[in-house]
This record gives sequence, structure tokens and C-alpha cells, in this order.
Amino acid sequence: MTTTPIRLAAAAVALAALAAVAGQAQARNTAGPIKIGISLSLSGDFSDSGKAAERGYKLWASTVNAHGGVLGRQVQLVIQDDTSSPTQAQTNYQTFITKDKVDLVFGPFSTLLSAPSAAVANRYGYAFIEPAGGGPAVFQEKLHNVFFTQPAPVLQSGDVFAKFLLSLPASERPKTAAYPSLDDPFSSPIADHVRSILSGKGIKTVYKSIYPSETTDMGPVIQKVASTHADAVIGGTQNGDAYAQVKAMVQQKFSPKFVFLTNGPNDPAEFPSKVGAKNVNGIFSTGDWFPQEHSFGNAAFVKAYAKAYGKGAIDPTSAEAYAAGQLLQAVASKTKSIDNKTIIDTLHKGTWKTVEGNLRWNSIGEPQGSDLLVEWINGKLYPVYPASVALHKPVVPKPAWGSK
Amino acid sequence: MHNVVQAVILGVLIGGVYALMASGLTLVFGIMRVINVAQGALVILAAYLSYALFSHLHVDPFLSVLVVTPVMFVLGVLVQLVFVRSLRGRDSEELSLLVTWALALGIEGVLSLVFKTTYRATLPSYADKTWTVLGYQVEFVRLMAFILSGVLLVLLSLLLTRTKFGRAVRATVQNPTAATLLGVDANRVQTLSFGLGVSMAAAAGAVYGVIYPFNPGSHYDLISRLLSIVVLGGLGSLGGAVIAALVMGVTEAVVAVEWKPTWASFTYFVVLIAFLIVRPQGIFGVKERAL
Amino acid sequence: MTSAGLARAAAFLAVGIAFPFVFPAAWLVNIGVLTLMYAALATSWNLFSGYTGYVTLGQVAFFGLGAYTEAIVFEHVAIGSGYNPFYVLPLIGTGVALASLPVAWIALRTRAMTFAIVTLTLLFIVQQLAFNLHSVTHGSSGLMLPTPTTFGVDTYDQPFYFAMLGILCVALLLCFGILRSKLGLMLLAVREDEEKARGLGIRVTGAKLTAWWLHVFVTAMVGAVWAYYLTFIYPESSVDPLVMIGAVLMTFLGGRGTLWGPVIGALVLVPAQQYMLIHLGGGEGYLIGYAAVFVVVLLLMPRGILPSLRDVVLRTRERRRTRRMEARPA
Repeated sequence: MTTTPIRLAAAAVALAALAAVAGQAQARNTAGPIKIGISLSLSGDFSDSGKAAERGYKLWASTVNAHGGVLGRQVQLVIQDDTSSPTQAQTNYQTFITKDKVDLVFGPFSTLLSAPSAAVANRYGYAFIEPAGGGPAVFQEKLHNVFFTQPAPVLQSGDVFAKFLLSLPASERPKTAAYPSLDDPFSSPIADHVRSILSGKGIKTVYKSIYPSETTDMGPVIQKVASTHADAVIGGTQNGDAYAQVKAMVQQKFSPKFVFLTNGPNDPAEFPSKVGAKNVNGIFSTGDWFPQEHSFGNAAFVKAYAKAYGKGAIDPTSAEAYAAGQLLQAVASKTKSIDNKTIIDTLHKGTWKTVEGNLRWNSIGEPQGSDLLVEWINGKLYPVYPASVALHKPVVPKPAWGSK
Repeated sequence: MHNVVQAVILGVLIGGVYALMASGLTLVFGIMRVINVAQGALVILAAYLSYALFSHLHVDPFLSVLVVTPVMFVLGVLVQLVFVRSLRGRDSEELSLLVTWALALGIEGVLSLVFKTTYRATLPSYADKTWTVLGYQVEFVRLMAFILSGVLLVLLSLLLTRTKFGRAVRATVQNPTAATLLGVDANRVQTLSFGLGVSMAAAAGAVYGVIYPFNPGSHYDLISRLLSIVVLGGLGSLGGAVIAALVMGVTEAVVAVEWKPTWASFTYFVVLIAFLIVRPQGIFGVKERAL
Repeated sequence: MTSAGLARAAAFLAVGIAFPFVFPAAWLVNIGVLTLMYAALATSWNLFSGYTGYVTLGQVAFFGLGAYTEAIVFEHVAIGSGYNPFYVLPLIGTGVALASLPVAWIALRTRAMTFAIVTLTLLFIVQQLAFNLHSVTHGSSGLMLPTPTTFGVDTYDQPFYFAMLGILCVALLLCFGILRSKLGLMLLAVREDEEKARGLGIRVTGAKLTAWWLHVFVTAMVGAVWAYYLTFIYPESSVDPLVMIGAVLMTFLGGRGTLWGPVIGALVLVPAQQYMLIHLGGGEGYLIGYAAVFVVVLLLMPRGILPSLRDVVLRTRERRRTRRMEARPA
């Protein structure tokens, strides 16, 4: 019995297929369109944000192309789905750089995918302007080619709440705080960072815990929090658990003086419908971008977005992606070059204006600014701190559940 | 102590809902030795159906059970006919495991396409209502879901013990060949039971969405719970599934409150493994022969 | 080993070694690494589930354990010239396999479906541990491995490629060895009828545990190389059910219980997966398409490509022989 012919045939087919695909590899062209490779999570766990990033990138590309492109060349985005998998993201960037021979790359969604991808880009000397990889893992690599297009690293995005609390007169500050957080690189570390600031300044930690990422039932945790009668609940959350925390607090009739959740309340469209429109007032959150913000090109961006994608709420990820494009444009107009080394050297000097605010980075890509503190007041979400970006005065303490 | 009792209450209430979902799973296994790994995805599908009915037609989730259950029954029958029945041969049990897993992925894909991956929750006006009984908080929706589950489980067991169909089902479980010889249409019994198992989970799913936010990926967590429940209870045993579900609910709630939430489900798994050392067939399971 | 078998093996090895030199483009070698990774995973899954008849759904738990072990070790140990993470692979494989034995012993006391579910539970347990043991694994923030600087830029992927190739060869040798050995006969007996085998005096538990140990040994090494390749791992990516489904699908596609089946399955599916992603990607169509392929393969070709093709070849040969015999004068 021999299956050698069959096996050889199968192997030959596989090799032929690869050769056919390999034959499509291209050479870099310095006159034609500027090709930018972007791996995005268009399916899988991150698909909502991945698609939001895609909208931001595409909006920027069409806007800039309508105005003559960058340095006279049209921008062509080469977008590939990474199915929310880091293995696939790495493969995508390899393919962009060595098969498609793209001129530039932009980052994918999520720190978890950005970390391995940044290393690939670095190996080939490509700049890595990325909108959504702001967690410590990305900066731990100490790569010089990384530029995170948000005002502050994710770990410090909650600090603005701590600064706000400390700006209040001592009698208005909370005395005790509880920290229930999600086991997620973007949640618990942020609350922890806030805690490290506040506990040193006299706000006692009466509860802290981390709950697993599939927790759907916040009842037991909030039960524990409520039993401490904490003045402030400061939670490192994502959307789902934030909604659940608020619901549980309402159900257990526990209404602390301050509620700050790192994600969830910062979604102007979803939050009221998820926790009940009458329960939102007084809740704080943080954000890197706000539609009414007076940042560079923001009004035009919001208008163009509405025209292209309709009137719905804008996911900040779209703005973050758009900012990446703006940075490229700015470097190009300043240095008349889009060479990767030039981009890396140029962006490390000075401050750069984008829809995300004025950005500047240290040598490993950490932005040196601060995020916005937002609060729900009278059923609407406003940035309230720092004063330079505030559109409303903050309201403290939090009104009881169900009231204005 | 107060916290522990409160946790036990929470655990029992949610355990009841899990019991309903798991009942279908263990029933189907008992009859045709098929593990329907798509059970979790089907529960989530039901949750989405109920959510859609609520958001567009303002149908109360508990009422939507009346609509969702028969729809999912038909879906379950179709699934069995198309995917499960055509599996033949010695490997059919393992293949059914893998085919239903593929089905779960397909359902997840379709749901992501239609509803996106944002978390949803069905929020009727009474979603936050809580009663205080003897100093303990009891959420209205959890209590209603528990009562619904209890009622359906009782109906299920009545169906199995008091009706002709139920007798046919039990005969098929005990001895398929003998049952066929006695005139039971094994194919029909299997198909209808599969549909029944799915519809039970669907009823639970319809109200699950009121208690928990969910998205298409939620089925992984759900199916891992349901599978470990039926293993602890003993594959094929309804009573075992109910007990195991309550054990899971209470263990997790108590661990979350008394120790750390991150170790809650892990503790349950440890309980499961430890139990299996002593009794590999589960609480009420029958010692199986190898495949 | 027949001469045909030897030729097959030699041809495979030759092609495998030559590939990164004939197709040096980094992205192709990258796909090669992934293909070999899945081939090794599928072969090792087949080593246990194909030969013992017990379906294990927990393989990726050990993939993850191997990945985390490698990452944790190299948090404290230097990577030297970049090859240390490869040198320690057998140690990691052995370590994870030994650690898995107590759990395996408990799990193997159950049968069939219960076993499958218990192994699935292992998957979630390992993932939970990866999340919870913060001080060791950094939980959901993930763990970073050092990046080697001596592999060059254009040849960076080659050491990983050869590491995976090496592991695949080990897996194939183990399978081949089992098939020809007393252990193989024992496992066959277990697969046919475990109670009878036990009655005949066969050391059933020992046989099952040996197969299990070897399966985990290979799987953990694959996970370790993967971790080093990506340089950043986290619980969801290290213990990803989809990776395991892929390996199982490839085994079924190629032919469960055969030697080369899983490799063929990987050779077909991994490039096909990449192709589908480029042309069908950009949405949930990918997951649905994947599930559809899975279902089609399981329903229409449950025995896989190799056995089905083998049947076709045998039948054709049989027909030809019959015709020849009929044509001969009586």
C-alpha cells in the first residue's frame, strides 16, 4: 500500500499555492501611492473597536486624498483582519512589510496586539504610530519607534480623577474609598494607580478586589463594597462590568458620594440605556477624546464623520486612528519626507496637534499629557476637569439614584 | 454571616437558572449520547431573540418565553436532523461533540454579524426592583427566573414520568434496542428530545439577558459551566444536574463574597475534580463503558 | 520501516529543511512556522486521541502551560545568544508533562464523554490560573519575553521555523514508534474494548498515561516556541480554544489514527486559512466560514483525506487487478 503519490501531490499542491501567492509579492514604489499597512480586528472579541478604528483611518485617508494626498501622493490603506489574535497580527505586519512592501504601518487595536506588532515593526525600522496600544506591555519593550496617539498612557488615565479630588477643599473630599476592578490590563491597573495617589493623601482604602473578566454577576462584589459604606467607589472597569456595578449599586440601594468608573460611563450613547437614564447623574469617568473638545481639526473631523457614517455616536477609537493620520501629515509637511527614520526622529521632538489634543512623547513612546475627566450632569456627559478643557462645572457629591 | 447567607441566596437563585439550561444538555446525552456543545450558544441566541423582541416590540422578557421557546424547539429539531442524525458509525459521539462545537462557532459568528460584539442587556422597567426579605436583598428578576426554571423543570419531569412520550424517552435511555423492538420510534424520540432540550435552555436564555449583560462571545463561559455541571451531576441524570447547578451557584457566590471573586469559578472546578476522584461517574451518573 | 516509508520521511525532511532557503521572504517563513506549529499540535493530538480513542479537549491548556513556563523562566534567565530558549525546550516539555500526570490520572478514571468534558474543564482551569496567579503570570496584563537580537532581520524567523520543524519530527518519530511498538498494540486494544483489554492483563492505565505524557511533552514544547516567537503572551491568547479546534480539524481532515494525516491536514488548512483571511476577512464571515468548513469535513469526510484517498486508491487497484484477471485466459 503506498500513499506516496498522494502525499507528494498534496505537498506539491500546497507548495504551488504558496508559490502562486508569493509571486504576487511587490517591490516598493517611491512614486506611486503611499501604502500604509494596518492590521485591524474586524472579527473576534475586538471587532467593534477594530471597525471603529477602520472608520477613523479611512476617513482620514479619504479626507487627505481629497486635498491632494501627502506630499502629492495619494494614500492607500492596506487593511487586513487579524481576528483579534496576536499571532495573526504579527503575521499581518510581516506580510505588509516583506510581501506588500508598504511604505508605512499604523497600529492595530488593543495593547495586547500592539505589543508583538510593535516589535515586528521595530525590527524592520518602521515607525509605529498606534492609536490603541497604551498599556504598560507596549512601553515595557522600550522601543524607540512607538508613538501612542492619546494624551496619556492608559495606566495613568485615571489620575485626572485623583487630581480632581485633591483639588477639592478637604471637607468635600471623600474620606474612604473602595476599589472594585476588572481583571483586565486596562482596568485594575488604572484604579490601582489612582489608589496609590489617593491613599498617600489621606483617603483610606476600605475595600479593594479584582474580579475575573467573565464576571457577569456583580451582586456579591457590590454587596461587599456596600457593607464598607465607602464615600467613593473607584472602579477599574470595562463597559459590561461598569453597567453591572451601577445596576448592583442601585439594586442594593447603595449610593456613595463619588462614583468613578474608568469605562462604561464614558460612552454617551450606551450608558443611560444600560443602567437607566435616571441613574446616570453624578457619575464620573475618563476619556481621551470628546466630540465637543476644542482640539486641532476636531470640529472638521466630527462633521466629516457625520457625513460619512451618519449621525450616531463616535467611538473615540475612530478619533485616535484619525489622529495617527494627522501626525503623518504633520511630519510630512514639516520635513517633506515620509521616511520611517525621519518620522521617528521628528516625532520625538516637540508637541504635535491632533484631534486627541496636543501630543508629545518620551523616548519609549509614552505620551506626556493627561486625559479628560467627564461627568454626567442632567442626563448629559461633559468634560469637567482640567479647567482648560472643561465644558461644565463639576457637580459634587453625587445625587441619589434616580434624581437629578 | 449575613454576607454568607446573602451569597447563598444569590447562588441558589442563579443555580436554578443554570439547572434549567443544563437539564436539556444532560437529557440529550442520556437519550442519544450526544453532548450538545452548542447549548451555550443557543442560550445566547435565545437571549438575543428576547432582547430583540423587547427592544423593537416591547414584549416583556418573561412573556417572550412563550414565543422564544417554541421557536427554539423547532430550531433544535432542525439542528438534530441536519447535523446530528447524519453522524453514523463508531465515532458518532466524538463527532457530535466536534460538530456541535462548530455549530456553536457558527452561531457566534452569525450573532456577531447581526448584533455586533457590544454587550446587550434586556432592561424592562422592573429590572432594578429588589425586595428585602428578613434583611436579605432578593432581586425581583432573579426570583422570577428561579421560579420559572423551577416550574419548567417540574413540567419536564412530569413529562418524562407521566406521559407516553416520556415513557418512550426513558425506554430509549435504558435500552434503545429493546425500546425499538417494543415499537418506540427511536429516531422520532431522539429528534423531539433534542428539540426539547434546546427549548428548555431557550426559556432560560430569554430571561438570562435580564440578569446579565451578554454578547456573542458569552457562550464560552456558559458552556464551560453547563458542561461541568452535567459532569458533576452525572451525564444523563436530571436530578444530578439540578443538584450540581445549585452546588455551582452557591460555591461561586460564597467564594466571591468570602474570599476573592477571581477564585470563584476555579473553586468550583476544584470541587468537581475532587469529586471525580472519588466518584468518576458524577453524583447520579452510571459508570460508563469506554467508547 | 518499509523503503517507501523511509523515502517518504526523507522527502518530507528535505522539503522541510529546504523551504526557508527556497522561499526566504519573511512572510512565507512566518506562514511556514505557523503551518509546522499546527502540524505538530495536530500530530500530538493524534498521538493521544487517535491512538487511545479518548478525545481530549484540553490540549491547548498544555500549549499555554508550555508558553507560560518559557516566559516565566526567561524573566529570570538570560537568553544568551538567543538560542537558550530553544535549548531548554525538552526540559519544559518534560516539566509540564510531569505536572500534568496527577490530573491525567484522575481524568483517565472517567470514560469517553466525561473524559472529554473534564479535559475541556482543564482548559478553563489553566486559563483561570494564568489570570489569577498575578505575581507569577502578571494576570491579564500578559508576560513579555526578551527579544533576541542576534537572529538578523531577514533571517529572523528561521530559528523558530527550524525549532518547530524539529518538534514536528520528534512528534512524528514518537507516533511512528508507538505504531510499531508493544505500546501501540496495547493502545489499540484499549481503543477497541478497554474492559476486555484490562481483563487480558494489559496495563491499561500505564499505557494511557504514557500516551498522555508524550502528547503533553510535544504540545508544551510547541507552546514554548510560540511564546518566544511572539515575545508577548497573555491568558486568552495562550489558552485559545480556537487553536485547539484548528488542530483537531486538521487531524480529522488528514485522517485520524494515521501517521501523516495531521501533517497533511495542516499543510492544507493553514495556507487556506491565510488565503481565506485575505479574501474573505474583514468581518464575521471568517468565523462562519471556518465553522462551515469544520462541519462539512466532519459530516462528509469523517475519516479524513488520507483514509478516504487510500480507500479510493485501493478500490481502483482492486478494480484494475480484477479486470486484469478477467482478461487473462482461463
